[in-house]
Amino acid sequence: MNVEELVRDSLRDLAGEQEPAAPGFADRVLAVRRRRRTRRFASVAAATAAVVAVSVAVPQLVSGGRDDVRPSEVTGGQSLPVTAISAGRTVVAAYYTTKTRKSGKGEGVAERTYRLLDPSTGRYKKDTRWSYVAVAPGAKTAAVLERTLPASRVGLLDLTTGKVRKWYEIRMGIGGLSFSRDGTKLVVTTYDENPDRMFEVKNADGGVNGWMAGRPTSRNGYMILDVEDGNGAWWQIKSGRDVPSRADFAFTGDDKAVYARIVGGQDGMEEFYDLSGKKITAPAKEKYLRWDVPARISPNGELAALGLTKEVNMGKKLPGKSYSSIRNPLTGKEITKVRGGQLLAWVDDHRLIAWERTTPLKNAGYKDRLVLVTIGSDKIVPLSGERDPDDGPQRLAWEPVFAER
Amino acid sequence: MDAEAQDSFREFVEHRSSALLKTAVLLSGGDRHTAEDLLQNALIKAAGRWHRIDEPEAYVRQILYRQQISRWRLKWPRRELSVAEPPEGRTAGDDSSAAEVRLVMRGALARLTARQRTVLVLRYFEDLPEADVARILGCSVGTVRSTTHRSLARLRTLAPELAALNAPSRPSRDYAPVEVRP
Repeated sequence: MNVEELVRDSLRDLAGEQEPAAPGFADRVLAVRRRRRTRRFASVAAATAAVVAVSVAVPQLVSGGRDDVRPSEVTGGQSLPVTAISAGRTVVAAYYTTKTRKSGKGEGVAERTYRLLDPSTGRYKKDTRWSYVAVAPGAKTAAVLERTLPASRVGLLDLTTGKVRKWYEIRMGIGGLSFSRDGTKLVVTTYDENPDRMFEVKNADGGVNGWMAGRPTSRNGYMILDVEDGNGAWWQIKSGRDVPSRADFAFTGDDKAVYARIVGGQDGMEEFYDLSGKKITAPAKEKYLRWDVPARISPNGELAALGLTKEVNMGKKLPGKSYSSIRNPLTGKEITKVRGGQLLAWVDDHRLIAWERTTPLKNAGYKDRLVLVTIGSDKIVPLSGERDPDDGPQRLAWEPVFAER
Repeated sequence: MDAEAQDSFREFVEHRSSALLKTAVLLSGGDRHTAEDLLQNALIKAAGRWHRIDEPEAYVRQILYRQQISRWRLKWPRRELSVAEPPEGRTAGDDSSAAEVRLVMRGALARLTARQRTVLVLRYFEDLPEADVARILGCSVGTVRSTTHRSLARLRTLAPELAALNAPSRPSRDYAPVEVRP
């Protein structure tokens, strides 16, 4: 056999292995075509034509450049992702927006609206049935809570079919969920009342009233639930004044303990419990972590993702550059800085997904987008459209839920 | 695009997208995601002039191939697939099996430039004569010939195991199907 024959065979093999195109491919093509046309007309009409063209062109360029990085398309004038965002094995498996609904005089409830990634179509789909969603590793199953919180049962939702495969009845009021790294356990945080209860704060200047989370917390314990058989023990704990209204537990990097946020002298403080209801000191590797930097420890366990440490002013027109700290988890000493204002998830031992600002440092407000950052490189790869987390309409201030595939 | 054209477009995609996707996967060096993007772009272009196209499949294929070439012309970042193991690092032992050689071959194919890969796909997957390849890609027969030659030479460099293939003493083997994820 010569090289030509081998090339022929290899190509035939590779072609033969391909699964057919997903059903609905034609509709997907037509939908993308419609969107592109709308954009094209809009960009001709708008005075900011150049800006629009750039923001549209970037994702295409990127998706052609790196094989494992998939930015999302965004809908017309909005920034909500439409197609899957992923890099390496890390995927935005869902995202949610939050809106506070008035529930009584001076009271309200902050409610999340989720959009879940359908693994078969690679698109996000709105699913209003759930008040809380945690996605299992693999991004094919999610644990869900129904609309009214605290809930009395946990559902295991098949993300492809959109159907709940199994319900686990739990008498305690459930407010939050989080999977272990290995996907076999769930930590269920329980509350006496809805942890998303808000109170209206009068605006002294006569403007629109704001909302503030209720204090103190009604958190009363947690449960480690076996995902396979639904068994688990509930541990009652006392929650002091330093625990905020919603303070859900999540597993530590080694799945041997759980942590939750506390409010204290500094931002980002955490408390730790073992898996049987006992408060413990922070594990050696997690002593310096902050709850508001969700990326935490790198897959190889050697690097800790920490907070924003530097911002560089690039002038009036260019977006400012943010840098976050990468530290030695055991000593807390900074090893290097990496681009990104908030490090959200590790992709591998060198790359992370982060929020990074899209606005100049001064007098331009704050807007951001999801980007891929690499340790040792100043380059960022945009993964999503722009978002206005503070002042924009709440329906557009989305928050990603990450999972590993 | 009116309703009738949309229906015929849908029907075409439903019947032919899987076959077209295979070609797109080969053109993108085995990366399914890139392949879907490639095919999607080609279909969008075809949809724009659907009622004027006589042979949709040939038209879409031509766009697929030319897209690859134009990307190269525009000096876009090289669309190479990163593979877990660099083929250069593998050494050909006496016992290197047919399956292993194919694995190496795939890694090497993924590392060619889009233009090189496109020419090989046209020549050896579609089995087209050089003149047809030249017509599709809009270049001369000489260019097709030299690109083919250079692509094969590069494959040999990327995968030294292939050198052994031309050795006459090598016995022929049965090629068992192997499941490989590129």
